[in-house]
Amino acid sequence: MNKHLQTMIALLIGLVVFAGAALFMLAGHHGALPATAAPAPSATAVPAKAVPVDSTRCIAQTEWMRAHHMQVLNQWRFDSVRHGNRSYVTRDGRRFDKSLNTCLGCHNSNPMFCFMCHQYANVKPTCWNCHISPMESTK
Amino acid sequence: MNQDRRDFLRKAGVGALAGLGAAAGLFPLFALEKTDMAALSDTPVPGRIRWGMLVDTRKCREGCNECVVRCHHDHNVPDFGKSKSEIKWIWKSGYEQAFPSASKQFQNPEIERRQVLTLCNHCAEPPCTRACPTEATFRRWDGIVSMDYHRCIGCRFCMAACPYGSRSFNWQDPRPAVKELSPTYPTRERGVVEKCNFCSERLVKGQLPACVESCAEKALLFGDLNDPKSEIRTMLASNQTMQRKPELGTLPSVFYII
Repeated sequence: MNKHLQTMIALLIGLVVFAGAALFMLAGHHGALPATAAPAPSATAVPAKAVPVDSTRCIAQTEWMRAHHMQVLNQWRFDSVRHGNRSYVTRDGRRFDKSLNTCLGCHNSNPMFCFMCHQYANVKPTCWNCHISPMESTK
Repeated sequence: MNQDRRDFLRKAGVGALAGLGAAAGLFPLFALEKTDMAALSDTPVPGRIRWGMLVDTRKCREGCNECVVRCHHDHNVPDFGKSKSEIKWIWKSGYEQAFPSASKQFQNPEIERRQVLTLCNHCAEPPCTRACPTEATFRRWDGIVSMDYHRCIGCRFCMAACPYGSRSFNWQDPRPAVKELSPTYPTRERGVVEKCNFCSERLVKGQLPACVESCAEKALLFGDLNDPKSEIRTMLASNQTMQRKPELGTLPSVFYII
């Protein structure tokens, strides 16, 4: 066996190990965002300033939002209240104001939106102790 | 095989790196994330702006409570009807209560009887934020002393620390005591302290504070104290003004023309 062949075999094994690790990482994204390349943001899709509610799509996929909306809200509160960073850019380049009002801008349309799921999951978040819930604001 | 372990590992590592390089070229997801400069510039520079207010007590009409009513309506401030559990963001005090250390000897009786508009002073050296054990209250990047009601545990250290009585405690659930619910602003809940926020929810939309906007006499002037060319700084430079309890060193951002 010559030296070159040995080197090639070692390189190939390294490649296979890398490919395996990469595939493992991709396979680990259960219910999270699919690991596909996001479409390049087009110039027209990015408004100059953060816009609150003008959107037909949510900031992320439904599945991901179902699992992570509380972390998003916590992070948004921290960024906007503590540091004044109010602009959230999605993976595909859309901008949103980091505010609960951004969420309610769309999800207000169904007053039961929050409650149905929370009741089913038997979770009792304290949001509506202070914030005006969609049930109250659309009364 | 006449290749040692070290040699093999080295070559395998190079192979893995080559794979990463190829993957980065093939799939943009593997490439290192680009720094989004636009997102970074959205965060304001701390200390660049310092919001302040100038209250012209000469213009403030006696018996007028327009600013108080407007503020308390817009921010869903409850009215429990008892002075003991009163919640106030902005209110009127007597001259002596507002400026207890100011000289009163042979003072103009008209001035002594004057009602002075008082609110949180948004101090540059706020004693309340130092007393807060949970950092629920803190001095913002623009000089506003802000509250994060989510973090308030109701210990009332800040109320003890504030020399101006600008903070109120919710002994009961405030929601039923809000007469007319303003849907654009949340209420508070039982067991938290609340105070004036200099209308930070309006400032972010580029609007003036509600009290300033509601004043028909234009007795309130709001602006950036750090900008020497701002209207408030011009007024401060050309008028004799007072701060409340300046001897405490809290450096209030609310100034008064007497």
